[in-house]
Amino acid sequence: MVEIKLKVNGKSYILEIEEDMRLLDLLREKLGLLGVKEGCSEGECGACTVIMDGKVVNSCLVMAFQAEGSSITTIEGLEKEGEIHPIQQAFIEVGAVQCGYCTPGMILSAKALLDKNPNPTEEEIREGISGNLCRCTGYNKIIQAVEKGKGV
Amino acid sequence: MNLDIVGRNILRIDALSKVTGKALYPEDIFMDNMVYGKTLRSKVPHAYIRIDTGKAEKIDGVIKVLTHKDVPNNEHGVIFKDHEVFCSEKVRRIGDPIAFVVAKNKKICELALKEILIEYEEIEEVFCPIKAMKEDSPKVHGDTNIVYHYKIRKGDVEEGFKNSYAIAENIYRTHMVDHAFLQPEAGISFIDEEGRVTVMVATQYPHYDREEIASALELSEEKVRIINTNIGGAFGGREDISLQIHLALAAKVLNRPIKAIYSREESFIAHAKRHSMIMKYKTGADRDGKLLAMEAEIVGDTGAYASWATNVLRKSGVHATGPYFIPNVKVDSIAVYTNNPFAGAMRGFGATQVPIAHEQQMDILAEKLGIDPIAIRMKNIFKQGSITATGQVLTDSVPLDRCIEKVAEKIDFSLEREEAY
Repeated sequence: MVEIKLKVNGKSYILEIEEDMRLLDLLREKLGLLGVKEGCSEGECGACTVIMDGKVVNSCLVMAFQAEGSSITTIEGLEKEGEIHPIQQAFIEVGAVQCGYCTPGMILSAKALLDKNPNPTEEEIREGISGNLCRCTGYNKIIQAVEKGKGV
Repeated sequence: MNLDIVGRNILRIDALSKVTGKALYPEDIFMDNMVYGKTLRSKVPHAYIRIDTGKAEKIDGVIKVLTHKDVPNNEHGVIFKDHEVFCSEKVRRIGDPIAFVVAKNKKICELALKEILIEYEEIEEVFCPIKAMKEDSPKVHGDTNIVYHYKIRKGDVEEGFKNSYAIAENIYRTHMVDHAFLQPEAGISFIDEEGRVTVMVATQYPHYDREEIASALELSEEKVRIINTNIGGAFGGREDISLQIHLALAAKVLNRPIKAIYSREESFIAHAKRHSMIMKYKTGADRDGKLLAMEAEIVGDTGAYASWATNVLRKSGVHATGPYFIPNVKVDSIAVYTNNPFAGAMRGFGATQVPIAHEQQMDILAEKLGIDPIAIRMKNIFKQGSITATGQVLTDSVPLDRCIEKVAEKIDFSLEREEAY
C-alpha cells in the first residue's frame, strides 16, 4: 500500500492505495466517480478519459500512484452550483447522446480542447475528440455539439 | 389525439443522466455483501473435457465454483436450445463456458480460474462451412451440421439463363464481424425482497432472458426478474444470453449479490458475431441489361451455436436479389454449424451481407454489356407494384429511383454516364 495526495474535482484527498491500482480504479472504486467508464482497458476507446493537470489522459493507462500531486477533473466535476456545463447542455440539445457510454469521456476531451482553444475549427474539433470512440457512430452530432458549446 | 410531438425534435429523456455520468450501467451498481464472479472458458475449439475444481475451491476467498452439475436444466438458446449453461462433456468453440468462480473479489476469481484443471481430449474440428456440410465432416451437434435451409423457387432459371446475353458467375465471401459495443457485458444478480432471482443487466431482450433463466433454473417465470439498466450499445450483440444465467444461478445458490464484468477480450470471445457468408451467384441479363435470371447459394457460418441463424439466413435469402425485379430466381440459403465463434444477430440480420454479392454482380454485368452501372440499375429496380422473388407485391412507396438519382448527382457520376453511353 502507498499513500498519495491528489485533487479530484477541486477537492483534496489523501488515499491509501494498492501499488497495482490504476487511476481508473481509484476514481471509480475509491471515490465512487462512476461516470469514468471502462471500455477496453488499453487506451483505445477513450471511455475512461479524464483531465489530468489540463491534459486528457486515459485513466486505464495511468497508474494510481502516478497521479500523486495532480489535479484531476472527471465528468462529475463539470457541474457548477447545480448548473451543467455548456458543453453538456449542447450535447443534450443537439442529440449527441445515444448509448451514453462514450459521452463522459467525449465531453471531457471537448472541454480540454475548448479550455486551450476556445474557437476551434471543425478539423481541430475532430482531432480533439480523435481519442474517443463512439460506437453508435454519432460523430457528426458530437461535432455539432462541440461547435455549439464553444464560446458559450 | 395530441400530435404536438410530430415533426418536432425532442430531448432524450436519458440525456441529462448520460452527460453528467450519472446513468448507471450494470458495472456501476454496488450492493452490500456483494461478491464477484468470473467465467472459465474453453481454450480449444472442439474437445471432450474433464473438469476438476477441487484445487480452486480450496483457495482462501473462493466461495463457490459452479459447473454443469449445479444447473437444474443445463440448456439454453434463443431458438434452438443448443447451448449448455456450462459445458458438461464437450466444448464446441474457443470461449465455451465451463465453470463460474464466485469469490470475495476479482483478483481471487482470476487466481481460482488458473487452478481449475481442465483435461481436454481434442477431437477433429471443422472451420469451413462448405466442408461442414459434407456427410463425412466432424459433427458439432448431433448427426448433421446443417441447421437450416431456406429455398426460393420462382419461374425457370435454366430458361432465363438460356435467353441471357450476358451471365456473371462469381463467389463472394464476407467475414465475421464483432459488434464492439462500447460497454462490455456486465451484470449483477441478487434475491429481491419478494424472493425473486433478480438480474440487473444491459440486454436487448429482458423477456427472453427471463424465460431462459427460469427454464435453466427450473423456476416459474414469476420467480425471475430482469431489470434492464442503461445499455452501452448492443447492435444485436446482446440478443443472446451471456452472463445472465451464470449470475442468476450463483445468486440462487448463494443467496447473496454477485457481480460479473467482462473484459473487452472476454466480451469478444463470449458473444455472437455477424455470420460470415460464402455466396455463389449466377446472374443473367439480356442485351439491354434487363435481368432475366438469378441463382444463388448462400452458406452462412453460424459457428458452434445456431442463435438467430434461421432468421438471419432467411433474411439473406429474401434479400438475395437485391432491390431488383428478376423473373426467374432460385435461392438456397443454408446455415451451418462449425467450430468457429458462434454467429447471431448483428445490424441488418443477414440483409447486410448479400449486397456485397448482388451489387458486384450488377457492376460486372454492366461492364460485360457496356452499359453504365447506374443505367442497368434503373432498368431493373423495384417500383411501386413490383413483385419480389418471394411474391411480395410492393404496394407502398418505393422511391429507389429518386434515391439513386440523388446519389449519382452527389457523387458527380453524370460525366462517366455520358461517356458510358
